[in-house]
Amino acid sequence: MASAPIAPYNSSPLGNSSSPNASRESLKMEPLADVAMLPGEERVIDKDIIYICPFNAAVKGKVFITNYRLYFKNTDSETPVTLDVPLGVISRVEKMGGASSRGENSYGLEITCKDMRNLRFALKQEGHSRRDIFEIIFKYAFPLSHGMQLFAFLSQEKYEENGWNVYEAMEEYRRQGVPNSEWRITFINKIYELCDTYPTILVVPYKATDEDLKRVATFRSRCRIPVLSWFHKENHAVITRCSQPLVGMSGKRNKDDERYLDLIREANGTTKLTIYDARPNVNAVANKATGGGYEGDDAYQNAELVFLDIHNIHVMRESLKKLKDIVYPNVEESHWLSSLESTHWLEHIKLVLSGAIQVADKVSSGSSVVVHCSDGWDRTAQLTSLAMLMLDSYYRTLRGFQVLLEKEWISFGHKFASRIGHGDKNHADQDRSPIFVQFIDCVWQMTKQFPTAFEFNERLLVVILDHLYSCRFGTFLYNCESARESNNVRVKTVSLWSFVNSDTSLYINPFYTPESSRVLYPVASMRHLELWVTYYIRWNPRIQHQQQSPVEQRYKELLALRDQYLKKLEELQLSDSAPSSTHLTNSSTPNAATPNQHITHLQTPF
Amino acid sequence: MELSEHIKTANVEDVTLRRPFHPTLRGTLCVTSHHLLFSDRKDEASWQLLILLKNIDAIEKRAVGSSGTITIKCKDLLVLQLEIPGMEECLNIARSIEALSSLESVTEMYPFFYRPSHLTLHGPWGLSSTEQYYKQTERLWDRWRVSKVNSDYSVCPSYPSAVIVPREVDDDKLIRSARFRQGGRFPVLSYCHHRNGMVIMRSSQPLTGANKKRCKEDELLLQAVIDGSELGYIIDLRSAQQAQQTRMTGGGFESKSCYSHWKRIHRHHERGKVVQESLIKLVEACSDPSHSVDRWLSKLENSKWLSHVHSALSTAGLVVECVERDGHSVLVHGSEGTDNTLLVSSLAQLILDPASRTVTGFLCLLEREWIQAGHPFQQRCAHSAYSHARLKQECPSFLLLLDCVWQVWRQFPLALEFSEALLLRLAQEVYASNYGTFLCNSEQERCAAGVKETTHCLFQSLLKPDIEEQYLNPLYEPTDLAIWPAVHPQSLQLWTGMFLRWTEYAQNMEEAREEVWSIVKEHREQAGPDRTNNTLSTHCESLTPIENLMDELTIL
Repeated sequence: MASAPIAPYNSSPLGNSSSPNASRESLKMEPLADVAMLPGEERVIDKDIIYICPFNAAVKGKVFITNYRLYFKNTDSETPVTLDVPLGVISRVEKMGGASSRGENSYGLEITCKDMRNLRFALKQEGHSRRDIFEIIFKYAFPLSHGMQLFAFLSQEKYEENGWNVYEAMEEYRRQGVPNSEWRITFINKIYELCDTYPTILVVPYKATDEDLKRVATFRSRCRIPVLSWFHKENHAVITRCSQPLVGMSGKRNKDDERYLDLIREANGTTKLTIYDARPNVNAVANKATGGGYEGDDAYQNAELVFLDIHNIHVMRESLKKLKDIVYPNVEESHWLSSLESTHWLEHIKLVLSGAIQVADKVSSGSSVVVHCSDGWDRTAQLTSLAMLMLDSYYRTLRGFQVLLEKEWISFGHKFASRIGHGDKNHADQDRSPIFVQFIDCVWQMTKQFPTAFEFNERLLVVILDHLYSCRFGTFLYNCESARESNNVRVKTVSLWSFVNSDTSLYINPFYTPESSRVLYPVASMRHLELWVTYYIRWNPRIQHQQQSPVEQRYKELLALRDQYLKKLEELQLSDSAPSSTHLTNSSTPNAATPNQHITHLQTPF
Repeated sequence: MELSEHIKTANVEDVTLRRPFHPTLRGTLCVTSHHLLFSDRKDEASWQLLILLKNIDAIEKRAVGSSGTITIKCKDLLVLQLEIPGMEECLNIARSIEALSSLESVTEMYPFFYRPSHLTLHGPWGLSSTEQYYKQTERLWDRWRVSKVNSDYSVCPSYPSAVIVPREVDDDKLIRSARFRQGGRFPVLSYCHHRNGMVIMRSSQPLTGANKKRCKEDELLLQAVIDGSELGYIIDLRSAQQAQQTRMTGGGFESKSCYSHWKRIHRHHERGKVVQESLIKLVEACSDPSHSVDRWLSKLENSKWLSHVHSALSTAGLVVECVERDGHSVLVHGSEGTDNTLLVSSLAQLILDPASRTVTGFLCLLEREWIQAGHPFQQRCAHSAYSHARLKQECPSFLLLLDCVWQVWRQFPLALEFSEALLLRLAQEVYASNYGTFLCNSEQERCAAGVKETTHCLFQSLLKPDIEEQYLNPLYEPTDLAIWPAVHPQSLQLWTGMFLRWTEYAQNMEEAREEVWSIVKEHREQAGPDRTNNTLSTHCESLTPIENLMDELTIL
């Protein structure tokens, strides 16, 4: 019996809806296969190459490198095999084999990607055939290491909406009900003088003067003082965020910091302020050695300290790396579950989620909280933003989610540049870590547990993660507001939200049921967490099938067929000089949206 | 002994009842012949039905001072706690529950006493029959016939009275073939594929024994099945080695030399005790009360439950591949042909046949392929995951089927007309029911016990319009395609709706389902009567070519 034919392996991670203005005429080279180039995208080199597909045999074809992407198309058979990889996704390029290596396809390039896959190419073993392409990929994948600009600064894409306007801090705080008699807005950080990694607009206790803030800043790591993230309109409890106090080995105290935390507590009459330290207890203690630490009982008598046991960026990086090892290129099938367990990835997800649940629960019960880790830009951002997602249904809308990311992650200085390493060749940089990916995974877990509570769908999450790396948009570039401002990101680059909001229908969950007042508590037990297979294992053609086959793919096909029928019908009508009334109704009804056509997304079992 | 003689204490006051997602209640507990009843004091007049005694799998007694606590573990995995004042009362209640929950005699069971006002005992029983299936399936009329050779159940005690066999094989040959098959389960037709007329047959193992006995009639019967076409496949649900070993105990397999047109493929499936123990381990892991992260995934893996799901689905996929893609007929059997055989053949039909994916079609499939085909429900479902009783013939084959169907539904959320709720209801009914549908081990036993005359049929009652609605999948869009499930370990999930059903997660999911329902209904109302004209499903017929893209199963 013949075994099943292997599915064509196609890879196009990003929704390539480039603007039609792309001028392709200027290019003298043959058209770039089937892919429309982005405005501002330029061809650099073409090359005959062999793609060593881990799921098929080696595929002969041609690779096209532009200043934005690597595009591969096979030339050896009719079943198309394509790769469309933004260069920003590349973490490492290596030469494999040498001029004298033996064995077929042993001479070529190995490309490690940031998005859970590797690519291998083989070239002819003669005349240094790989030298030019290696150097070009190396240069264009890591432009910052070569004194060049990221593609986001070269892109000429235009969209109707300006995504940079999605988030206006003042507007968002006003929506929350701030300023009020308890909380005020301060412009003390207008020129990033107080804290260079914070945004310009900060919300602090009404009773704290700007002088107080300056003194508190001296006692908080990198001057990241406690500021308001979210305000509970009914009970006036707040989520505040900050970095660790600079307690150090000697157990230093700071009266201003102590008083400041008490002001946060007093604002709504919370009897005991809860400080959530995201770290494991031992790590917090260990941080004293480098001048950091945590809030001791003696100094902060009206506060209780809770450690949330979430590990640091290095642990998360290693965990995801282990996960990649068991899913790419081949899925570890014989002991899938125990292999998955040994990566600890889901365990980390569980700890982050259950930490956020504690925060949300505390706040909804009327007590204010302070959240911090060491620097307050990784685990802290995860916890505050997830808690806000649970508490505030606005953040569960397509717009609101964009605001949440802009606010808690981008404006408050999650170090995207360092964590992702945009355009930087140092693949082994210890600062890199998938903290944001982990956060998006937590969001996905929530959407799985509450299939009707989110306005956006899984596709949005995947698109966000793809453009986290792609460097096509300015949204995730740089480490903080001040760096973005000095590099003029808002003017010189396009926002991811311009792209997303230009066609929101792609990202809408058809089953969304708005519910304003409900707090969502996901079940953070291991038994209820799932591996996000359709993201982490999506390069595997078997999963691709599964991902598309049931709903989206079928609807696409059916819709295409319907269009064909309509066309035929039209032709028939044209040939029939006197169209009867039945023809008319037939041709019009299929255009009316049936309920089922709205249902374009459904990966979630109910 | 009258059932009531098991009841020493019928009523106890001041009992505390704890169950998941309900506030703790105090009230009166009452044991009757078939039920445990409870009433909180607020409303003495009305008893709340707590559970069917038959649903109780195990109880644990614990003395706390002068009162006792009984923990009741149900076959549907619910766990209840009763605090009963008075040690003697507590022990009496416990004893009654133990005795009455494990009744052996079928006719003493509750379905024989269940007489709701909205159902009558007159009229036809069940949804389908062999004859009906034959009548509906035009493709069969030419080469196949309905044989009544088993009308008195003497040829095969576990088969129904009528079976479908090749027209050219007469009843005498069937009798001889039956003698050559374990339990008399000679090869009979289970499904005829609407697209190409290829068939799925099922049987038990041939009794070739150590000295390689042959049976001319059995060979002729199988020859008649493929009728001139060059090849058929025998899917043997045991490894080649196991099949060899069974020859020592009188069993065996169809050798190449005797069945030259049949190609045998072995697929190992666990059975009986091993599967039952998997269920026990799985439920143990799921009901571990600690919320700790402690090695949950390893426990899940070690239970091997998902690997049974994997085997069943992938072998069903193999059968489908033979029938649909290669265009050959298939014979499925293991040893007895009453468990894995039915599992594989019915899953294959679900994957292949759009008719079996409607509520009615699915229930008919269960009726033909499980109930009439002689799956010994009474033996298999005597206990579920909590019982400490020594295992006899228990095996959750049917639950495994429901889990596999759930996996298909999860991967093809549009393709089945019914929802998870139907699968959960069936999982409950198969262990304890008001209805007679799952009683006994065969048609013969049901006949003898008078099941059709004196009990109600579950499937008929499920199809009553007001009841059926709660089991419908709001997103159902019929498709004519084969729906091949992916069977890789990362594509299979724990059936949380079943195994974690008494957690808050299940409640979230239930709410979500209701919301989806209301959205879909609203849309339908908006679309109005046009809907019938313009659902895309009407174009499905022309989509057959793309089914070949669905080749996740590289099984061979």
